[in-house]
Amino acid sequence: MADTRQIRARKGPVTYALRFFVIAYLAVLVVWPLWEVTSRTFAPVERGAEGGFSAFLERLQDPTVTYAFSLTATCAFWAVLINTVFGVGISLLITRYNFPGRRILSVLIDLPMSVSPVVVGLALVLAYSSGQGWFGGALESAGIFIIGSTPGMIMATAFVSLPLVIREVVPVLEEIGIDSELAASSLGANGWQIFRRITLPSIKWAVVYGVVLSLARSLGEFGAVKIVSPGAALRGETATILIQNRYTNFEEPTAYAAAFVLVLASVLALVVVSLIRKEDHS
Amino acid sequence: MSIEVRGVGKRYGDFVALDDINVSLPTGQLTALLGPSGGGKSTLLRIIAGLETADSGSVEIEGVDATKLPPQKRNVGFVFQHYAVFKHMTVAKNVAFGLEIRKRPKAEVKAKVAELLELVHLSQFAHRLPSQLSGGQRQRLALARALAVEPSVLLLDEPFGALDAKVRKELRDWLRRLHDDVHVTTVFVTHDQEEALEVADEIVVINEGRIEQIGSPDQLYDEPANDFVMGFLGAVTQLGPVRLRPHDIEVAVQPGVPGAAAGVVQRALRVGFEVRLTVDVEGQAEPALVVLSRAHARALDLELGSRVWLSPTTGATSVPLLGEVSA
Ligand SMILES: Nc1ncnc2c1ncn2[C@@H]1O[C@H](COP(=O)(O)OP(=O)(O)OP(=O)(O)O)[C@@H](O)[C@H]1O
Ligand SMILES: [Mg+2]
Repeated sequence: MADTRQIRARKGPVTYALRFFVIAYLAVLVVWPLWEVTSRTFAPVERGAEGGFSAFLERLQDPTVTYAFSLTATCAFWAVLINTVFGVGISLLITRYNFPGRRILSVLIDLPMSVSPVVVGLALVLAYSSGQGWFGGALESAGIFIIGSTPGMIMATAFVSLPLVIREVVPVLEEIGIDSELAASSLGANGWQIFRRITLPSIKWAVVYGVVLSLARSLGEFGAVKIVSPGAALRGETATILIQNRYTNFEEPTAYAAAFVLVLASVLALVVVSLIRKEDHS
Repeated sequence: MSIEVRGVGKRYGDFVALDDINVSLPTGQLTALLGPSGGGKSTLLRIIAGLETADSGSVEIEGVDATKLPPQKRNVGFVFQHYAVFKHMTVAKNVAFGLEIRKRPKAEVKAKVAELLELVHLSQFAHRLPSQLSGGQRQRLALARALAVEPSVLLLDEPFGALDAKVRKELRDWLRRLHDDVHVTTVFVTHDQEEALEVADEIVVINEGRIEQIGSPDQLYDEPANDFVMGFLGAVTQLGPVRLRPHDIEVAVQPGVPGAAAGVVQRALRVGFEVRLTVDVEGQAEPALVVLSRAHARALDLELGSRVWLSPTTGATSVPLLGEVSA
């Protein structure tokens, strides 16, 4: 990284001013609010009671809170799993096959990133709700309910985080090219063997990176899930919805504790991502 | 015949990359596909390997119609111009790949890999990753990997294209020796005529999607079918009504040779052991190029402005000028 050193070598008043500005900006926008959340998380449960870690744990042990977190984990797990499988599949389709509509597909992939999650939720309701949905009626007669139940929330989460894996994997697939895959096929490998032994090891880190990003995104998803979920305690209340509900119901400490857990998860994800970046570049 | 290509054509949109190609290559032969860039050499090679499908025509390998076979069923070894080694596998694993796919017993794989690494002089690098090899070593690795599966034909797409001149020459000699040892039917693509002339048993000259000539290096050099082949296989110049090679021109400092063209030496360039003259020939728009040895040039006492008389040597290869009305 010779470039960075060169940049760092030039220190002047402008550099210091810029630094101050960036730090102040981050402090006002990110650090201070997060610090507030953290400090309230560890505040005493009742006046006069002990604060700190035990207070934090007590808040989390509330059954509605554990339910919310396990629901969030379930949704995130399935959404990430689906997105990983489909994401890698779609990436291969876009980079390795030529078919009519390929350009349109690769534009459509980015749609979930640009459309508001609320709109995604509404679209799912429109398509799948049992009352008015296009497929809802048929699914209902088969005994399957999407909207207002976990499958619908998983779909909403998956929809919103769909592009993350693809966006990581496609550039890598484009960069490695197809020569080594062709070489493998001329050496007798079939499609699956080529994928398992040649393609997958080359995109491994991109996939992991995409998975971590989707996981972080899925854990924090609010808008789309809020629309398709009943959103009541112990009935479709995910961690983010719980935070919203508690906050508006004047049970702010629980909201803060739950928020803190989510912050922790994203920090963890960032750490993992930066470790992967390092690994990938070594 | 090991490879039979019949009536193969390939288009990319409106562009004709290959037009009715017919070639048959006997078993055990080392053949060069020679031609200028964009001529369709790689396309033909990839069609033989099954990495590209032809629009028309058929490909037969070892008597089996392979036109519709996928690459993994053709038993061809393919070596790419840019190596295409498996970056995440060690050298030994790269070579073992095809054998492991074929589920050969472990001991056999190990023995075969050791033998091949010996053959390509990479034994001491068996446990390195490809990124720790030089370009020439990577190319040898790619060759060993292709040879491991004992292919019935070995196809090399500009195998030495990305290497510097010296390594190229070494590997070229090595490939010839390897072929003499292993005797697998080999086709290699090159746009370097020297490489083709030096290494190949037979040369197929391809230009603009068509075959210009097929023949042994001597045939091509001595009896080029047309102006293009002549021009592609070495330097050519014009003398009177014909085109011929600059070293096939006799230089005299006195008139007397019947049919000799008079001219004046305009430039003399010494390159190593030879002298290249540019001679302004009377009644000819383009100057003639002449190559002669330094000793010969000294004996004739040539300098700038010398008057010379040029004539084709006896037995010189020449073709009549095409599409030009002599002034
Ligand atoms: N996938 C493709 N799509 C469109 N045109 C192509 C494609 N592949 C090759 N061509 C064209 O076909 C022609 C022949 O290509 P080919 O790669 O066979 O040339 P070549 O003789 O191997 O040249 P070089 O020596 O530069 O490798 C070229 O003009 C090239 O532009
Ligand atoms: Mg080529």
